[in-house]
Amino acid sequence: MDDIRYADRIVSADEVKIAARKAQVYYGTNHALRDVDVDILGKTVTAFIGPSGCGKSTFLRCLNRMNDTIPGCRVEGKITLDGQDIYDARVDPVQLRAKVGMVFQKPNPFPKSIYDNVAYGPRIHGLARSKAEIDEIVESALRRAALWNEAKDRLSSPGTGLSGGQQQRLCIARAIATSPEVLLMDEPCSALDPIATAQIEELIDELRAQFSVVIVTHSMQQAARVSQRTAFFHLGRLVEYGETGQIFTNPRDPRTESYISGRIG
Amino acid sequence: MMTEPHIFQAFDRDLEAVQALIMKMGGMVEAAILDAAQALETRDEELAEQVRRNDAAIDALEERIQAEAARLIALRSPTATDLRTVLTVIKIAAALERCGDYAKNLAKRSVVLGQLAQVGDSTGSIRRMANAVELLLKDALDSYIHRDAQLAADVRQRDREVDQMYNALFREFLTHMMEDPRNITACMHLHFIAKNIERMGDHATSIAEQVIYLVTGNLPEEPRPKADMTASSIGMPAQGAD
Repeated sequence: MDDIRYADRIVSADEVKIAARKAQVYYGTNHALRDVDVDILGKTVTAFIGPSGCGKSTFLRCLNRMNDTIPGCRVEGKITLDGQDIYDARVDPVQLRAKVGMVFQKPNPFPKSIYDNVAYGPRIHGLARSKAEIDEIVESALRRAALWNEAKDRLSSPGTGLSGGQQQRLCIARAIATSPEVLLMDEPCSALDPIATAQIEELIDELRAQFSVVIVTHSMQQAARVSQRTAFFHLGRLVEYGETGQIFTNPRDPRTESYISGRIG
Repeated sequence: MMTEPHIFQAFDRDLEAVQALIMKMGGMVEAAILDAAQALETRDEELAEQVRRNDAAIDALEERIQAEAARLIALRSPTATDLRTVLTVIKIAAALERCGDYAKNLAKRSVVLGQLAQVGDSTGSIRRMANAVELLLKDALDSYIHRDAQLAADVRQRDREVDQMYNALFREFLTHMMEDPRNITACMHLHFIAKNIERMGDHATSIAEQVIYLVTGNLPEEPRPKADMTASSIGMPAQGAD
């Protein structure tokens, strides 16, 4: 099925940003993720859906090596970003995470000012040489996160003083301040009200012009609304991956159908 | 097809309820077709009047089905087969509503024809054609309720038979009109009736196509078999005869 939203911004299905081949994840002896093959496209929103424990968050965390920090966790297979193996010994995970940013379920601003929350990344990665440059990055990130108008007069007040939806947009601003190429979002709206959710979704749609966005969500409707590609995970496997319209109107695998239509499966 | 229940069972109840309405509507339309054709053949004005009155109930049922379908979309956000079920419900209800209108029109004309002289056995031919279409509609609805794409494909093929019956009647009416101009009024009415029954066959076919979409996720690709030649014929009986 053709997605008319593709007409807005031409997306090339050939432009593969992240590729996984036979990716496996073990937590100790538990084989949590099996044989995941997937091509995540550039400038596209990809949604990972599936029941709790299906491996979708585990896989998301493989994409910027967040699993490295979990004791006993082992990743096998090959995951590449722009063709480069991200599990290569020469890759610095900190540099990788600047390129592959992440936003979590619960807004987790640093206990610092709004300004410092956003400036933190660019500073530690040495992306700016002067105060003026940092100012510019902070403003631009806050603007892109649709928070500038609400935050510009209180940049020095603590980020934790913002509302939940604003805090989440602050976390997005913090993640995009390092100019990542991919933004990973792990249920970014599950703690937000519908208005804040709609604002984040609108933001995701705008970010698609610059980044690949990969979003894990338990809301099927959210996946349907924001993504162009959907991947369905079940029992540690990638069951089906395809164009979102096709997944939601005519899924090929009966397990996908059972899950998205709210049946026992 | 998904036969397992939804975790949230009210969803299943909603889907079943709207489909039960479709079957009820289908039953009423089938009865209207048969009754109207019988009223025509037996010149039963009372039965014709009853068909005309019942059409209001068919229309009301269609409105109710559309409203239920809209509600299902708004409240349950159906996906995949559930979504296709709701979409087909809407289209099938519209197709049935048209068939109901044609049956009502048949009943109206039967009252007029009751006051005119018989034209051969044309009302018998019309009744046979109506029976064939009713069977087509019944099978289309059966294929829907059993999610039987094979039967639906069969219905699509069989519409050709109805088209051929219509072609034969078309020639028959022309002949009668040429034989005796006094037949023209009756034959004009009879021709509209035959054409409307032929259109009911097209609606049965479109229901069958919806079933194929519902079951497979795709509408049938190959063009529908068509045997209605009258649109491209000049209609001289001598040339049209086979």
